Amino acid sequence: MARFSKNRRSGEEEPELNMIPVMNLFMVLIPFLLSSVSFLHIKAINTSIPVHADGPSISVQEKVSRKITVVLEIKADQVRISTLSDTPNDLQVSEKEWVLPRSNKMGFKVAQVADHLRKLKQSYPDSDTMILIPDDEVTYWEIVQAMDCARADNSISLFPNVVLSGSLG
Amino acid sequence: MSLCQRRRSAKKLVEPKLMLTSMMDMFTIILIFLLVSFSDSPEKINLGKDLELPKSTTDAAYQRAVKIILTKNELKIDGEILAPVRNQQIVGLTPENLESSSLYKQLKEYRSSTQPKEERKNKAPHVLFLCDKSHSFKTINNVIKTCGLAGYPNFQFGVLEEKSRYP
Repeated sequence: MARFSKNRRSGEEEPELNMIPVMNLFMVLIPFLLSSVSFLHIKAINTSIPVHADGPSISVQEKVSRKITVVLEIKADQVRISTLSDTPNDLQVSEKEWVLPRSNKMGFKVAQVADHLRKLKQSYPDSDTMILIPDDEVTYWEIVQAMDCARADNSISLFPNVVLSGSLG
Repeated sequence: MSLCQRRRSAKKLVEPKLMLTSMMDMFTIILIFLLVSFSDSPEKINLGKDLELPKSTTDAAYQRAVKIILTKNELKIDGEILAPVRNQQIVGLTPENLESSSLYKQLKEYRSSTQPKEERKNKAPHVLFLCDKSHSFKTINNVIKTCGLAGYPNFQFGVLEEKSRYP
């Protein structure tokens, strides 16, 4: 401290760090990284298609838990949600259908579909599979939207296993 | 002003010093940001001008896999052009000839070369599918069916990250 004050008094200048080589290095590194960096973040949606399987499809343990499979059909003029169940007690649920109007220009109301899926999830919390059946004219963008609202609603996981299938009719 | 006076005032001028500290701070922040964003994905994907991916709220990262890209004008597999797309229809890929298409042959070839590796690692084979958002299901269904026939029933749909619709 005494030395510092002595230096100040005598007017000696403090030595300065030579930043120019570091700056040169930065000037080389930053353009290189800027040219190779991507500002669009690509993410992925996991899905599958139905495959032919030999042998029993459902184990006994799975049959005990109350599970349903949601079927979301996107048609030219409507979106239809129905359910399938393998347990006899839940057969009545497969008869219930929910329909929402849709047009090729406007698409469908994502919030309403998500709301209905959330209700189904509340009734059958063990269920996690949805079969998505779009019509031929449905765009890929709308399919992704349907997958989004099936996967999660407000950070609550709904039906994350989406199986994409063509219509049989 | 006389010449003598001008010389006297020139002597008084002090050479200005560059203030590099704040610039260094800024560069350090930019460098850290770029380094972090440089290393968050397994590989870089070049999106062409004729490929507009849909936006999605998913946060799953894509994995290294065979890449099928369906742009507005062509179908590509790992960067190699397989077929042109005309009027929302992939040329040479119809529901009747899926198993004789070039896409099927390429996938079969790829599958036979990677199958032992996947079995050793116990990994399910999957396809990273990047598709333009304007394509109809009719168009993409042929690609999906061909992949399934070639032994790739699992897909990862490549999408652009979008923040949640429910803030």
